[in-house]
Amino acid sequence: MRNVCVVAGGQSVWGMRQASERDMFQEAGKAAFAENPAITNKDVDGLIVGSAYTERCSFQTHLAPVVAESLGIKPVNICCRVELLCATGSSGIILADAMIRSGKADVVMVIGGEKLFTPQRWEVNYSELASVDHDWDGTQGLGLPPPVFSAVAQEHMKLYGTTEEQLAMVSVKNRRNGLNNKKGQYQEAITLEQAMNARAIVRPMKLFDCCPVTDGAAAIILAAEEKAKYLTDKPLVYIRGTGQATLHNMSANMANWSTWESLKIAAKQAYAKAGVTAKDVNVAQTHDCFTISEIIETEDLGFCEKGEGGPFVQAGQSDFGGQVPINTDGGLLSCGHPFGATGIRQGIEIMHQLRGDAVRQVEGARIGLTHNLSGFIAAHTVLIYGRDLA
Amino acid sequence: MSIVEGKYSVTMDMWPLQSKEMTRIYPFYDNLKEGRFTTTSCRDCGTRAFPPRVVCPECLSENLEWVDLPLKGRVLIVTEEEVGVPVGFETPLIHAMIKLDDQLTVFARVMNCKMGELKEGDEVKLVVYPVDPLPVDGKKGAINLQERVFYAFEKA
Repeated sequence: MRNVCVVAGGQSVWGMRQASERDMFQEAGKAAFAENPAITNKDVDGLIVGSAYTERCSFQTHLAPVVAESLGIKPVNICCRVELLCATGSSGIILADAMIRSGKADVVMVIGGEKLFTPQRWEVNYSELASVDHDWDGTQGLGLPPPVFSAVAQEHMKLYGTTEEQLAMVSVKNRRNGLNNKKGQYQEAITLEQAMNARAIVRPMKLFDCCPVTDGAAAIILAAEEKAKYLTDKPLVYIRGTGQATLHNMSANMANWSTWESLKIAAKQAYAKAGVTAKDVNVAQTHDCFTISEIIETEDLGFCEKGEGGPFVQAGQSDFGGQVPINTDGGLLSCGHPFGATGIRQGIEIMHQLRGDAVRQVEGARIGLTHNLSGFIAAHTVLIYGRDLA
Repeated sequence: MSIVEGKYSVTMDMWPLQSKEMTRIYPFYDNLKEGRFTTTSCRDCGTRAFPPRVVCPECLSENLEWVDLPLKGRVLIVTEEEVGVPVGFETPLIHAMIKLDDQLTVFARVMNCKMGELKEGDEVKLVVYPVDPLPVDGKKGAINLQERVFYAFEKA
């Protein structure tokens, strides 16, 4: 098996964009090539495109060849789309890693994005009904995730004494981390008071506890180690381990709402393949779609004991200078969340952190982790990146 | 005139297709119209699955039978959505985690309920209500409307 490196990455501006889906895919692809000029569109032999709502919001299926043609890429080894809603991007990276590792492709671009602000605003909320189990959860009005995460937060608060202030501290931290991220949706810090006094969405989730709706795209380029060595002069960043697990889909079949068993399985897989433990991780991008999500993720990824996620953020352990800085580029809460692009954005930030050229750098970071959750907390995806091979 | 004027995108409808022509689990909806909440249980391994299936998710047998689920349950957690509810639903949109029996806890909509009215420990019961009828192509360009229903819960 070959080793796989991340050699370039870039993204479009994220937010409420005056641009189409294919405009933003071009912007993201251009940004990835511009980030490392040693690599061109002629070097790419595989293209994996991610988008969850391409049919629904842009009326376009068979998206990968559209993107390939738009960017002048002529893939000869793979050209297809993947979809796992919020974990679409990281699923693409896992597949690209496997293809390169096995020798099926040498240089693969994984590019993902969404156009979610459509002329009729109700449509995107309506499309969300297809994101959960349409027939059984969508019909209960559960397409939009806040009620689900409210129930998760209530259970976590009841079991472990997690407070609304601790939830708010996650958004205050991540908004601060996103301050200098020029491509993110928000570059605006918030105070704890603002977060606590914001209007309720579904209590205890208030406005700043929820990530926004976002247009945007991101692209990352992976290469076999021997190719990477002459494609880039930058420090090599390796994909060390990957894991993805699903134990249920419909809400009625979710056994435990405040301990995410499939996350633990995915993390165990990724740690084992990487030969590291949670204690070795220097920087992480986890799926902070809601503040409660990041708190549970710090527990179930093993950064702290179960139930200690609230005190962990309160003590600054997930901030710069703490045990493991989390969502150093602002996370979903600050960057926004175009589903197909989020896992790729996370991978790009880890690439910068491990190279040592991030906007907000964790000094000396050697091991990085990304985590995506998707659907009704149904699937979890974890990747471990390393500055070193072992 | 627009080419889509008067057309309704049935496959993007928020309610499931319920008729015998469109789904093999149509008995669920037929039973629902009679006030019964049902699912499939495997005659071979005894696994009761929800939602209903055409194949047992445990042993993959197709030897399934329809069984009744409880019509009443106990509320474990309440959520009240105050803004941003999906089209077709009214604010506040109230959901609850409802324990129906030892095997099945659902997260479902609670209708006919105001903010602050529903509490942990309350008993709720199934409510069946009509939803948009389904327009289906008939003979000679006719459009036939099929009645449809769906379920939620309300305070018992």
